[in-house]
Amino acid sequence: MNNTFNARRFGFLFRKTLLERPVQIFGLTGLILTIILMIYFICKVFFGFGPAQNISFIWGLAGGGCFLGSFMFSYFNSNASGSSYLTLPASVFEKWLSAILIAGILYPLLFLLFFRAMDAGFVALYHRGLDATSPLYKIRYDQVYLFSYTGQIAQKVYLIFFMFTGAALTGSLYFNKNNFIKTALVFCVVCVLAFGLNWLMAVMVFGEVRDAAPFHYVEVTVGTGEGEINLPQSAFDIYGIFGDYFFPVLLWSIPFIRLREKEF
Amino acid sequence: MIQIQHLSFGYNKKKLLYKDLTLTLQSGSIYGLLGKNGAGKSTLLKNLVGLLFPKGGSIEVNGFDPRKRQPSFLETIYLIPEEVYVPALTINGYQRLFSPFYPGFDSAKFTSYLEQLDVKDEGKLNTLSFGQQKKFIIAFALACNTKVLLLDEPTNGLDIPSKMRFRKLISGIFTEDRMIFISTHQIRDLDNLIDRVIIVDEGELLLHASVGMIAEKLCFKTVNEIRDPADILYKEESLRGISVVIENKHGEESKVNLEHLFNAVTENPEKAKAIFQTRKNS
Repeated sequence: MNNTFNARRFGFLFRKTLLERPVQIFGLTGLILTIILMIYFICKVFFGFGPAQNISFIWGLAGGGCFLGSFMFSYFNSNASGSSYLTLPASVFEKWLSAILIAGILYPLLFLLFFRAMDAGFVALYHRGLDATSPLYKIRYDQVYLFSYTGQIAQKVYLIFFMFTGAALTGSLYFNKNNFIKTALVFCVVCVLAFGLNWLMAVMVFGEVRDAAPFHYVEVTVGTGEGEINLPQSAFDIYGIFGDYFFPVLLWSIPFIRLREKEF
Repeated sequence: MIQIQHLSFGYNKKKLLYKDLTLTLQSGSIYGLLGKNGAGKSTLLKNLVGLLFPKGGSIEVNGFDPRKRQPSFLETIYLIPEEVYVPALTINGYQRLFSPFYPGFDSAKFTSYLEQLDVKDEGKLNTLSFGQQKKFIIAFALACNTKVLLLDEPTNGLDIPSKMRFRKLISGIFTEDRMIFISTHQIRDLDNLIDRVIIVDEGELLLHASVGMIAEKLCFKTVNEIRDPADILYKEESLRGISVVIENKHGEESKVNLEHLFNAVTENPEKAKAIFQTRKNS
């Protein structure tokens, strides 16, 4: 018997994962998509299409993925369900893969399809509502367009999604109860520490600092003038590799190691 | 077969629950693991199934290392914890999702066990009473036909008729190639069920013997007066006289009273160990 991966057994596990807690998985996904629809609509009314698309895309993909990710290993909030999960005859790899498949592949795919349909619907409604005889028709028509999945914002959101969801998956295996809240708190503490330490170091090196972002730039005041010191490109590239690849891969790999070593 | 070699385990590094425990358990027996609250009974079961990892020493269950939690190992062992978990599924739904993981699962037997334990299909499992949920899990675990069955306080939450049905069922399903390991502090529930007794206290193995050997080495009887208090391992006054546990020096025949045995062994651990020659390597 293959103790690492068996397609038939993985099929059973995947089916069990989806159908054992349908309210949590399907209900939560449905709720997230409904909330995103509402956010899009409200933001469109108050701020216009651009902010509506950006805000709902960020919250839907990164926020929703992160929230769903925190449920993937939420068996450990009781002794009975935790024991049942860990002693279920499936390999650690299969259990990890099952969670990754749902939170990291199926949910984003479903969200992207939903978002495209929702966005296309609202944009089409807007275009249809325009007066085609108006001299401003062309300008107004071109003002609103579909959100680009390959644009700069989308690419940043993909990265945030991978970081946040990976952190949520990892956190759910370290915190048995209220894992989402505890992981979010740890994340906030790490961010505050990173910015705080960066600021402290910038002040120590440059004196008067107006603004500073870790691994990015420092704005300093020199006499009556102001200037921005950026991280050298070569150093920024190294940071980019860590931020774009190393940390997300690390955050999605830790759950596998943690699941293998988890005692309960 | 389960082989525990020099097991050390503790939740706290400074205070170990088990120190250098060595124990060999054979298939074809129903073991009763007895101990006080907090003695480490559940901890030992969790170590056997791979939920907890030994701090020192090793455990081997039918040739597998439990801490690896390999599927080929997990499908040969089933742990029924004290608190059971049932999702919001019907009996059929649960069977459909969980039984494929156990190659030996027998659907007909599952139905029969449910009937014997008086578990009715009444909607979602999570809406059943705790006792019903527990009986459902017991029926499912037995139907999985695993080589090793670990039961942690199985009779907790069961009413009196259910306890009786449980005992009947366990003795009915027992075969020579299976090992059943029952941990409990409700000693009376194991009467006439187990054939080997293990008593642990403060991380130490105090007794590991068959019921037959216990009856051979100890005498359980009721007397009117105690002549030689030095021989007494345990005494308890009752309406009929004084129930005592003494060393069986004259080959008397008596029925083993598990409750009295437990008290005798935990109150006189050194004496009990001397009688049964319980060593660290048992």
